[in-house]
Amino acid sequence: MKNMADKRNHDERLEILMNQLAESVLGLSDPAILAETCEAGADPQREAKRTRLVLRQASKALDNVNKRLSNLGHTINSNGWYRGHLGYHNTCITCGSFVSFTPATGEMRGEALDGLCAQSDQYTIRRRKASR
Amino acid sequence: MARLLPYPKPPAPPLSPTKSISASPKTALLVESDKSLLSFFRRFLTDEGYAVRTAANSEEGLRLYRDCAPFMVVFIDYWVRQRNGMGIDWLAPQIHGVGLAKAIREINPSQGMIIAALDYQNAGEVPRPRELMDIPLLTDIRNFHLCSLLEKIEVERAIEALTPSELLRLRQFADFRLRGLGRAARGRTGGDLLGEALLGTLIGAETTRKGRHWNKDVDFVRHLTGAMQSISNCWKRQFKDTEAYLISEFPIRDAEGHEHSPLDNVASGDAAADQLLIEKDEEDRVLTIFKDDPEATQVLQGLLDGLKKTEIMARSGLDKKKLAATERRIRVKLLGRTNGGSMGEKHGR
Repeated sequence: MKNMADKRNHDERLEILMNQLAESVLGLSDPAILAETCEAGADPQREAKRTRLVLRQASKALDNVNKRLSNLGHTINSNGWYRGHLGYHNTCITCGSFVSFTPATGEMRGEALDGLCAQSDQYTIRRRKASR
Repeated sequence: MARLLPYPKPPAPPLSPTKSISASPKTALLVESDKSLLSFFRRFLTDEGYAVRTAANSEEGLRLYRDCAPFMVVFIDYWVRQRNGMGIDWLAPQIHGVGLAKAIREINPSQGMIIAALDYQNAGEVPRPRELMDIPLLTDIRNFHLCSLLEKIEVERAIEALTPSELLRLRQFADFRLRGLGRAARGRTGGDLLGEALLGTLIGAETTRKGRHWNKDVDFVRHLTGAMQSISNCWKRQFKDTEAYLISEFPIRDAEGHEHSPLDNVASGDAAADQLLIEKDEEDRVLTIFKDDPEATQVLQGLLDGLKKTEIMARSGLDKKKLAATERRIRVKLLGRTNGGSMGEKHGR
């Protein structure tokens, strides 16, 4: 029984170790982290650039979803996204149609992408439309 | 003169005092010819903590931008007039708002901007040059839409302001957290974890709908590491929920002949034997990397046992300095690609 209990803890032990190492990184000085990256065999500037790109791409993925929905007249509450197993899901607050996207691939799905929002005119300010 | 349609006018309580531009870290330039909308947007931006400069036409907007830039955000009405007193030709293409955005882009290509095109039903209808397609359009007056556009500009600005050492800290933190997930990582990388943390920040959502909006009083790196912690814990929970099921060796058949396990949907308290072996292998592999380094092995054993630093020092006889040096050796080796880390790849060679 003890053996089983020990075995069961392997993943927890590894998790504790790696999490401690992750925490320790946050306390490193700027020169220390640059030096460690070099010692690990990587170019610090290149790794930093790659990391910034990861952040930019994540932002871009969301941007693409929002732009596509906006072009179709859908209105998405940015706080209304929820995370499912396969990606993020939301619904247009105007017409109620569904949309989802997978961050890793940028793939979008859902009836909201099928066409223009049926009720997008409801909240739009039309101050000059009659004059045009 | 064509008749204008009425549009909702916001009530006009006294505006809260505008912060001094130089004293506020969040500054906005608002270029809007319509007095009611100017008042509405100015109030909104002020409430969001922005110190706001206003211009009633595009020429004044450009002059203010040249004099007072940089701004965190420049907010331009698509229908802004070129100068005061000039009428708007409603039938002609509107060029002054777009022209101002182009002029600002030429001065500062990374300036965060929002164009309000409230007359349009959707962003796809708004004519604008290709080079300005990336500027977010506000076609909807509802507050949360504007809030999310501002949030995005602030987050993007924070990304660009990260120093190389901050980026490396984030990267290494992500890599170690992901390795701590073991099989629960499901093939994801540290980059995936970091990307999810940023998405969570922009979206402000999670399975719990609790949100991960960035509290601007918290350092951006600290915020992202907190988000990564919470996401990796969530992935671990999801993995345990979906994977920890026993497979019965004694299937039963229902009346229609479909095969079922009597243990279907019964969560097991124990991990499967193959899973245990994989986990044990990973722990052994990490220890093997340091088999010629007794100090590192002692520190690793201490960390694996969940000991605090003081307890590890007491157990191993290492002082603070030696412990820090040993931790450093451990990190450097584990980060290397040959030992399962993500660093050291010869990119593009």
